[in-house]
Amino acid sequence: MIDNKTLIACGIIIAVVIGIVAVFFGSGDPDGMESTALIVQGQKTITSAAPPDAAIHTNIENKFAYHPPMPDYSLEKRMGAQGGVLAIIGGTLLAFLIAIGLIYALKVVGKKNPPKANQ
Amino acid sequence: MHIPDAFMPIWQGAIYWVIALVFVYISLRWAKNELNEEKLPLVAVLAAGIFALQFLKLPILMGTSGHLVGGALVAIILGSPFAAVFILTLVLIVQGIMFGDGGITTMGANIINMGVIGGFVGFYSFKGLKAATRSVPVSAFFAAWLACLLPALCAAVELWFAGTFPIEAGLLAMGIYYAIGGIIEGIVTVAAIYLIINVRPDMVDKNVLPEQTGAVA
Repeated sequence: MIDNKTLIACGIIIAVVIGIVAVFFGSGDPDGMESTALIVQGQKTITSAAPPDAAIHTNIENKFAYHPPMPDYSLEKRMGAQGGVLAIIGGTLLAFLIAIGLIYALKVVGKKNPPKANQ
Repeated sequence: MHIPDAFMPIWQGAIYWVIALVFVYISLRWAKNELNEEKLPLVAVLAAGIFALQFLKLPILMGTSGHLVGGALVAIILGSPFAAVFILTLVLIVQGIMFGDGGITTMGANIINMGVIGGFVGFYSFKGLKAATRSVPVSAFFAAWLACLLPALCAAVELWFAGTFPIEAGLLAMGIYYAIGGIIEGIVTVAAIYLIINVRPDMVDKNVLPEQTGAVA
């Protein structure tokens, strides 16, 4: 058994290492949903590779558009893989901190509003 | 498996959001009542780990890549499908808002697919298979495989409603790709379960522990 601090340290390190490996060695192929969209649009067959210039188009009229701060896990294009590494480290730590913060917040609210005893 | 905004009309995304929020609310109640400070490190580490694993795209041949979903892993380790809803929602919020991985209006559908369906299918199929086979690795592998495949098929149906995929081509292609990707999901899930059992058996659901370890003397 390892203590909590070691669990957190090892867990974060493993997650960050997975993320960094993904930046450099992750597959550049579209995922299953993107591949399916390309098949539907006649740019790919189930077994063939997607063409390099493949692009997904949709004819949804009433759709929402959002521009995230780090689209496709990148900072600025000129930062290349280094930007990807920073983005994935930031995202991993953010997921970790939000989980901890939210559970603490729920516990604080729970202490202020204890559940009523069953009658 | 992350549905982007462009794949679905806003009004359909809103319907999935309403359904998802019901499960998110119940998962918050679960977290408030069931999570104690002892489990906090594991939950937070799982959130970070699922985020990183979903980013790791592995080739599954046929010009396509796959990544871990994680709903089954979280639900099995923490012993509740609502654990998967809780953690997958957090991960999807970070992915969608910060990185544009999965849409904002479609986030409800993504929470339903990966968190709700992935968590419930993963948890209950593990429970049933474990009772039948008494084998944790076999049960976890097939539960994770199903928890990858079924959400993908549900996403195909949702995208048929949205007018993005025809139903037959959508189900066929999504079924093939995620049935193969589910093998990776199964292997990673079993490996992660055993890694966590080895380092902190006190934090995992007792149903996951091998019977000789978990049995009451």
